[in-house]
Amino acid sequence: MSLERPDTVDDGAVERTPDELEALLGDLVVDRDDHLNAPGFVIRPDTVQETLSILKEQAGYDHLSVVSAQEYENRYESIYHLKKFDDPTQEVSVVVPADKDDPVSESAEPVFRTADWHEREAYDLIGIEYDDHPDLRRILLPETWQGHPLSMDYDLDRPQIATLPEHANPLEDHHKDAESDTMFLNIGPHHPATHGVLHLKTTLDGEQVVDVEPDIGYLHRSEEQMAQSGTYRHQIMPYPDRWDYISAGLLNEWAYARAAEDLADIEVPEYAQVIRTMGAEMCRIAAHMLALATFALDINGDFTATFMYAINDRERVQNLLEDLTGQRLMFNYFRLGGVVWDLPEPREEFFSKTRDFLDQLPESVEEYHNLITSNEVFQMRTIDTGVLPPEVAKNYGATGPVARGSGVDYDLRRDDPYGYYDELDWDVVTEEGCDNFSRLLVRMREVEESAKIIGQCVDLLEDWPEDERNIQANVPRTLRPDDDTEIYRAVEGAKGELGIYIRADGTDKPARFKIRSPCFSNLQTLPEMANGEYIPDVVAALGSLDIVLGEVDR
Amino acid sequence: MGTAPAQLFPEFLVDTFGLPGVLGEVVASLVGAAVVANIILAFSGVAGPWAKRKITAAFTDRIAVDRIGPYGLLIIPAAAVQLLAKELIIPEGVDRPTWDIAPILLPASAMLGFSVIPMGQIGPLNLHLADPEVGLALVFAFASIASVSLVMAGYASNNKYSLLGGLRAVAQNLAYEIPLIVTAMSVVIFAGTLQISGVVGAQTETLVTIAGFDIPAWYAFVNPFAFVLFLTANMAEIGRNPFDIPEAPTEIVAGYQTEYSSAYFVLFYLGEFVHIFLGGAILSVVFLGGASGPGPESISFIWFVVKVWGFFLFTQWARAAIPRVRIDQLIEIGWKGMLVLSFANLVLTAVIVGVIA
Repeated sequence: MSLERPDTVDDGAVERTPDELEALLGDLVVDRDDHLNAPGFVIRPDTVQETLSILKEQAGYDHLSVVSAQEYENRYESIYHLKKFDDPTQEVSVVVPADKDDPVSESAEPVFRTADWHEREAYDLIGIEYDDHPDLRRILLPETWQGHPLSMDYDLDRPQIATLPEHANPLEDHHKDAESDTMFLNIGPHHPATHGVLHLKTTLDGEQVVDVEPDIGYLHRSEEQMAQSGTYRHQIMPYPDRWDYISAGLLNEWAYARAAEDLADIEVPEYAQVIRTMGAEMCRIAAHMLALATFALDINGDFTATFMYAINDRERVQNLLEDLTGQRLMFNYFRLGGVVWDLPEPREEFFSKTRDFLDQLPESVEEYHNLITSNEVFQMRTIDTGVLPPEVAKNYGATGPVARGSGVDYDLRRDDPYGYYDELDWDVVTEEGCDNFSRLLVRMREVEESAKIIGQCVDLLEDWPEDERNIQANVPRTLRPDDDTEIYRAVEGAKGELGIYIRADGTDKPARFKIRSPCFSNLQTLPEMANGEYIPDVVAALGSLDIVLGEVDR
Repeated sequence: MGTAPAQLFPEFLVDTFGLPGVLGEVVASLVGAAVVANIILAFSGVAGPWAKRKITAAFTDRIAVDRIGPYGLLIIPAAAVQLLAKELIIPEGVDRPTWDIAPILLPASAMLGFSVIPMGQIGPLNLHLADPEVGLALVFAFASIASVSLVMAGYASNNKYSLLGGLRAVAQNLAYEIPLIVTAMSVVIFAGTLQISGVVGAQTETLVTIAGFDIPAWYAFVNPFAFVLFLTANMAEIGRNPFDIPEAPTEIVAGYQTEYSSAYFVLFYLGEFVHIFLGGAILSVVFLGGASGPGPESISFIWFVVKVWGFFLFTQWARAAIPRVRIDQLIEIGWKGMLVLSFANLVLTAVIVGVIA
């Protein structure tokens, strides 16, 4: 098969061994630097595009998850974590060292569109410059910032001045003629429809959007830096709750738990995995309910009943989470090797409460279908607006409901199983419409799938023998993973692929902690959806992306 | 035609108090106008800070104001004090005095419309200020001054969101004013007069009697199609869901209102409510038999209140339930749908009335 014909373009479904990949890349590989999750090939900084396009075109690695950049004592390094949308367990890392004194590396943007923002972030925080990048500017920090905060020689005490520049219309000159003119409009950072502190630099031609550029970073809280200053065992786990703070806490905690457990080789007891699975799906319902609520707000206006109805349902699941974790938003419930405590006593009461919620849920979903999805005006507004074709979605590294709304059948719970998901009976939801409506439908149907999962977990937990309820594995007080081990692990968060890259250096704290935020990649697709549409469609498209700025900016 | 309308309110004042000459008429008119204006202000005062909250809360499973006074009713004076006590912020570069006139013009135009609306009787008092021969045309003219105010506010605010809101207001009003008036014309063909007392009087006859109940010849029953058309256009005219496009807080941050605070904001807010009530009043005059209803003529004001508040409730219901259409879709519905339908209705009505009469 592809062994004999390595140059032909195949469908990418074929799994190649690391050695076959090395043979495919030939001279491009200068060294091997394997990670725990994937083989790693070290290449020269001027062959990034060539290497990535071979891997993309000929080996089927069509998903650039994330670009992790870091600085070593003797070099800079960018790692391109590649996967396949068809089978995300097939991974490969492309490691690109750059010169310590003059860190320049070729940009991957012409091969993977998603590299645009990821490389801008690497430039902003680490200081690596990317050749051939279309628009290498700072992305999280203000343009006037001095130094790169995650680089080694960064001076923390240096005073920083952030100016308030007048935003200029980028299209002013070449869009002006006798009949028409463009208008520059700042949407946000304080605007009812930006769902947080997002700034959209929008250029309008009448009511139509000619150009929209998301400007992010207003909620940047140095989450990566904070994780790098905490110890693996206990000090990092509270932070993930604060990335996607819209009640998706347990999903985020699982991202860290999965990466760190694989890094430190911790086996989680099955009982704890079932509890985790149940809790995570409760979080997904809560997160999707809020997405639905705010989307209704964007489409219907701010007095819509749908908003409060969805918030009510979210409240019910939030109460269950409170019973389970003792907290409503910042759960901090997972521990490396399990969860912090068992189900609340009396267990029967918790089970019956959960079942009541699950029983009532189909009725609520039906009501939302009556209220919004079957409403003709709503359909008029959302069908065929904010269109994101599947190829574009993949190119931008879009994941989660955004990708699945474009027919990209990609869900890490099924494709790269973790927890207890592969033992349960549920389906991955996809819609083919590629528009705002499809993305909403995906979320609404996923709520039902999550309910199915929770129901099965409750049944399992109810019948679990009392003497086998082991909620935590034996984990050493201090974790010191081996020096120079690297791992990238992802879970299916509420918004998509939430991944963590960790490099251990033999101490009890990570040397590099990189968060792959699904919202970050998803938000990057906004101009593709919005350009040429009307202002209300931009608002609708943004709402259908369901971003949380806490996760975008980290 | 029905029974002869009772004496107009200012004439009643002149007669009752024996006010002499032109001066007496002027005084009587002013007093009458003040009474009517205060009724409308009272409606808006109840609607804005209290009823609207309670109604929306009922639709959205909430409780809303209930801390001060019975049913939270004391929120009305509290809100009045709070709103008036706020600082009036005048942004840099606003175009004065246009910016100052706009918030006065909006409630004033809607208020003027009530001068020709028969609001029913309280005892011997007939709350009807004037009854000119072109009353119906006049009331539409008054109502549409509102869009001038919106454009002024949007343009003078020196804010791009306000400008977009102002532009949307014009586009929307052009698209809906014509179907609205053309539909009202079909009623005029039935009634044979533009005089409002005539239009109302024509609706007092009995259409059919079902099981002992007299169904009056309200034009909503005579021509339900025109009623639905008019109701839809009216929703656009007053700018409520699904047609709250000039405001659209989640898109253009309340549009023309964005830069207004304190008393000016109150005036806009008030203007909107008066406008909704005027919309309800026009609807009841043209299609729902004005202030008529069961019971003696002397309590017909109650029926007027019921109808107008019914319409207000309807707008709030729409607000809670119906999504907002996009501006281009609205223009399309207006020019390609409503306009055609309204003219079809007009021609058909003319033919039917011509054949029967």
